[in-house]
Amino acid sequence: MRRTKGPVLIVYKMAATLNKGTGLDKNNKYDRQLRLWGDHGQAALESSRVCLINASATGTEILKNLVLPGIGSFTIVDSCKVKGEDVGINFFLTVDSIGKSRAQVATELLSELNEDVAGDFLEEDVDDLLEKNPSFFSTFTTVIATQLPEKTLLHLGKVLWERNIPLIVCRCYGFIGYLRMVIKEHTIVESHPDNTHEDLRLDRPFKGLHEFCDSLDLNSMNKKDHSHTPWLVLLYKYLDIWKNMNGGKIPSTYKEKTALKELIKEGVRRNAEGVPDDEENFEEAIRSVNSSLHATAVPAEIQALFEDPCCLNLNTDSKNFWVMVRALKEFTENEGQGLLPLRGSIPDMTSDSERYIQLQTVYRDQAEIDATAVAGHVHALLHNIGREEPLNPDRTKKPGTLSDSEIRTFCRNAAFLTVLRCRSLEEEYTTETANLEELGQHILEEEEDANSDSDDTVLYILLRAADRFFTEYNRYPSYFDDTLDADIPKLKACLSKLLHDWGLTAGVKDDYVHEICRYGASELHTVAAFMGGVAAQEVIKVVTGQFVPINNTFIYNAQKQTSTTIIL
Amino acid sequence: MIKLFSLKQQKKDGETASERGKRASAAQLRIQKDINELNLPRTCQVEFPDPDDLLNFKVIISPDEEFYRGGRFVFSFKVGQGYPHDPPKVKCETMVYHPNIDLEGNVCLNILREDWKPVLTINSIVYGLQYLFLEPNPEDPLNKEAAEVLQTNRRLFEQNVAKSMRGGHIGTVYFDRCLI
Amino acid sequence: METEWPGRWDHIQKILLRTGPFAHPSFEPSPEVLSFLKETCKILVIGAGGLGCELLKDLALMGFRDIHVIDMDTIDVSNLNRQFLFRAKDVGKAKADVAAAFINTRIPGAKVTPHFAKIQDFDEDFYRDFHIVVCGLDSIIARRWINGMLISMLKYENGALDQSSVIPMVDGGTEGFKGNARVILPGITACVECTLGLYPPQVNFPLCTIAHTPRLPEHCIEFVRILLWPKEEPFGAGVAIDGDDPNHIKWILEKSQERASQYNISGVNYRLTQGVVKRIMPAVASTNAVISAVCATEVFKLATSCCLPLNNYMNFNDTKGVYTYTFEAEKSEGCLACSDRPQVLNFTETDKLQDIINHLQENATYQMKSPGVTTSMDGKNKTLYMQTVKSIEEKTRENLKKSLKELGLMDKQELYVADVTTPNTLTFQLQLGTKMENS
Repeated sequence: MRRTKGPVLIVYKMAATLNKGTGLDKNNKYDRQLRLWGDHGQAALESSRVCLINASATGTEILKNLVLPGIGSFTIVDSCKVKGEDVGINFFLTVDSIGKSRAQVATELLSELNEDVAGDFLEEDVDDLLEKNPSFFSTFTTVIATQLPEKTLLHLGKVLWERNIPLIVCRCYGFIGYLRMVIKEHTIVESHPDNTHEDLRLDRPFKGLHEFCDSLDLNSMNKKDHSHTPWLVLLYKYLDIWKNMNGGKIPSTYKEKTALKELIKEGVRRNAEGVPDDEENFEEAIRSVNSSLHATAVPAEIQALFEDPCCLNLNTDSKNFWVMVRALKEFTENEGQGLLPLRGSIPDMTSDSERYIQLQTVYRDQAEIDATAVAGHVHALLHNIGREEPLNPDRTKKPGTLSDSEIRTFCRNAAFLTVLRCRSLEEEYTTETANLEELGQHILEEEEDANSDSDDTVLYILLRAADRFFTEYNRYPSYFDDTLDADIPKLKACLSKLLHDWGLTAGVKDDYVHEICRYGASELHTVAAFMGGVAAQEVIKVVTGQFVPINNTFIYNAQKQTSTTIIL
Repeated sequence: MIKLFSLKQQKKDGETASERGKRASAAQLRIQKDINELNLPRTCQVEFPDPDDLLNFKVIISPDEEFYRGGRFVFSFKVGQGYPHDPPKVKCETMVYHPNIDLEGNVCLNILREDWKPVLTINSIVYGLQYLFLEPNPEDPLNKEAAEVLQTNRRLFEQNVAKSMRGGHIGTVYFDRCLI
Repeated sequence: METEWPGRWDHIQKILLRTGPFAHPSFEPSPEVLSFLKETCKILVIGAGGLGCELLKDLALMGFRDIHVIDMDTIDVSNLNRQFLFRAKDVGKAKADVAAAFINTRIPGAKVTPHFAKIQDFDEDFYRDFHIVVCGLDSIIARRWINGMLISMLKYENGALDQSSVIPMVDGGTEGFKGNARVILPGITACVECTLGLYPPQVNFPLCTIAHTPRLPEHCIEFVRILLWPKEEPFGAGVAIDGDDPNHIKWILEKSQERASQYNISGVNYRLTQGVVKRIMPAVASTNAVISAVCATEVFKLATSCCLPLNNYMNFNDTKGVYTYTFEAEKSEGCLACSDRPQVLNFTETDKLQDIINHLQENATYQMKSPGVTTSMDGKNKTLYMQTVKSIEEKTRENLKKSLKELGLMDKQELYVADVTTPNTLTFQLQLGTKMENS
């Protein structure tokens, strides 16, 4: 272990790492999270390199939640010495470390959390680093900046934006938490949406579904088979009858759907006395009419991706994602006949095992056929842009090429693809390009509705005012007790100037100015811990390419326990 | 409206007459209500081996019509502290030839598992069990053999039930006598 | 160890020595607020797992010192991805002990007292000592238990709640990327029992599906767990499934795979098998950090009044962006727990149980039909009389003639009475006086 003042990177390793530790089974250790992002998500996490600027309480809390699930490595950049007030709020600093390098102490204590993670630190001023060695940051998967003054932040933002390195800005100020995602383009295949429509194609049945359903005859079935025919088949059949009676249309209005439900109800078998049997599958079919008869179509979001320049203008450097989007587009325009590849899964439903598995196989087989067609387009496209050997029989994965399993995952998620493009910090901070419409509207609402409970955007404006105060006075408002009251009018003036620059006429209530002065730029541990959880999860999203990150500003109000996300 | 509460207003006097015993749990209070309001059909009885333990008891069903007329079937109920969020565990202690009850005493009744809701009561379950004896359902069986017989040969099923209740073999399985 | 140093409390003191427009109306900034946290305030943390570890750290850094923590579990390898106070060498040790020792070492002045025990092992005298209880639990039963305990400790004077008997409960819960946090002021705001419907029901597949028409890999695993294991007893008679025993899981996995291949079902693997058998909830460090932080912030607000507490429920989900939803869960009129204010019954110890029954039936306020009466003695239920159930009636009939003294009923004893005339079982408190006082 060494300490340094120069711009030399010190790799810090725990003794345990050198001894190869206790060799805990990662399957066991990471079991509870592997159930969320899978082995491939974990692999992505383990190959990530994360840089933290400033080992503040917020900073170490973020890293804690990244070291525990097992990122590849982290590097802390911080030139500060540990101070008494730091130790009071930071779990990864100790009282005997006061006066030592904050980066080093935090690195040591964070490294203890997981022997599979390599930690190192650089005791250097960020401004100097940005000036002298900006390419230092190019080696990281993601950079996290905490508690940075505005000027440094904007410089950092510029350097990373140019280099295409994702930046997550995080700060805590009294009872306010702030997070800004700065990422040029982030593409997500596995967005894990919470509630989705099943992809059943009852309105556009494919060949396999036709054949399977047509092979079953409800009338000749015995009682048991009749009551165990999957509702999907029932709906297919009664929809067919309904269509024949209604000129080939599927029911769309409430009235039409009710009529279809009645039709299905009449199909329930009756006993000798004419009383309808208890047929759960029919009940399920009736219940599914509303949710399963929506028209299958390419969602607008995916349609928009098809028109994206990145999709239309492929080149040698195109991301795999865009090659696949293009292949998807070509599929829908050809084999897909206007539809995306079939997802290939069905929900559980009342059925005997045999016919359920058969039905499941019908869907899987069609999904496989569709995915193979998409793969054909992918390989042709790769060939066209010179990324794949024309003859590559074993299709081993080479840089720039795509495996079949990746293409399959892509097809399964075709309806949920998401592209996130954040605005740069420069755009946000330049008056001409700032999203003033958004800000103006929020203040106006706040002003009009005294009991407005829903919005924390005003807190962002106050943080910007506090930053302006810092630029002007080189301290945050009411940081010192003796200027507690004196700073209130000064902050008010900063706020007015800010709003004036933005051309906003609405005002901000004085209460907020007083509250910001009460905070005095304090960093409360529990607020840091909250933001530590939120920011770490955003890093995990960026690194794994799963789930959808924030776009682009998140404000947490710990007083009311509310939050707001806005695009700035 | 935010209800104001301030810890500072609290006077911690520490002095309190220690009440005897622990308070009854929410599960306990709820089961007491359920039990006190049991309204059983005349073919059902409930037995508490220990009247102080309202969480464990037996329900005896003696159908007076259909296939199982004259039989006497004992079900054990175990109510946990999760009640009524979780359903009670119910097993049939009498070996019975029935499509929806297997030879280990597992009972296939929707409200005991997938359709349980906290608004349901012990009474609802007893009615459900009674219904199983009046209308055995061969479509979704636990005892597949019994279900098949019921489906294909109602007469034979009736005979098998009668035989099993008298005590005797159905195939290789021996059933104890359970006639009253 | 040095427990005070310059600057230690600078950040917190900005909030506690200054007031603001959003502070609680009763807040008075003063150095005494911090002294109260450090010297007087006593907090109980229930659970030393994913939430508990975070809570201990958060509370200790927010100035709380006298903290007790209860947990009945020992440390497992699968805890290490989030329960950051534990290391590989701690596997097998008591969570409460290791967590407390870590905090006490790391944070000067912290005095965390561990209890390697169940919450049910402690009585009212133990719980009464705490100013605030904060829970990081994964069990609904345990939540309901502590909720019931705190409500049973409420005191009413002339029908009005005595605020000094209120011990606030702050409760957090997580599953994967979702979580919630809430503040319960027992007797004042919605309690756990009021909102029991907010907890999702357990997934239970129909037994007949499991037995004969499996369609999902889960159905195959449940078949082995519920039906095959008790039949085959692969590890000996009466040996229950231990989800932590790899041999047990391996056996279930093999049998489940056999069954799955019989029905052409794919997807049965070790992870899924263990997940189904142990009913594993996915868990990750970040969500635990978020929810615990909210809970600890609320404990801090309640203890200091520096601002208004959460009113009263917050949901969190960060799958798509970050979504939070804060609302006021409503108190349920007919809540089994908190709507039940003990009513006083005045009797003497020579009165008979029959007198109580008569009173409940004849008194104009109650007019009960056939009250069933139980009480709690030595932590166990005792049924005093229940007319509606024949087998109980026969066994308790003789109690009617016994005096309250003979029945072992004491002054302040609680009686629980169920009757068709009331939506829930009611709680009564016996007040035993002499004949003179009553007449």
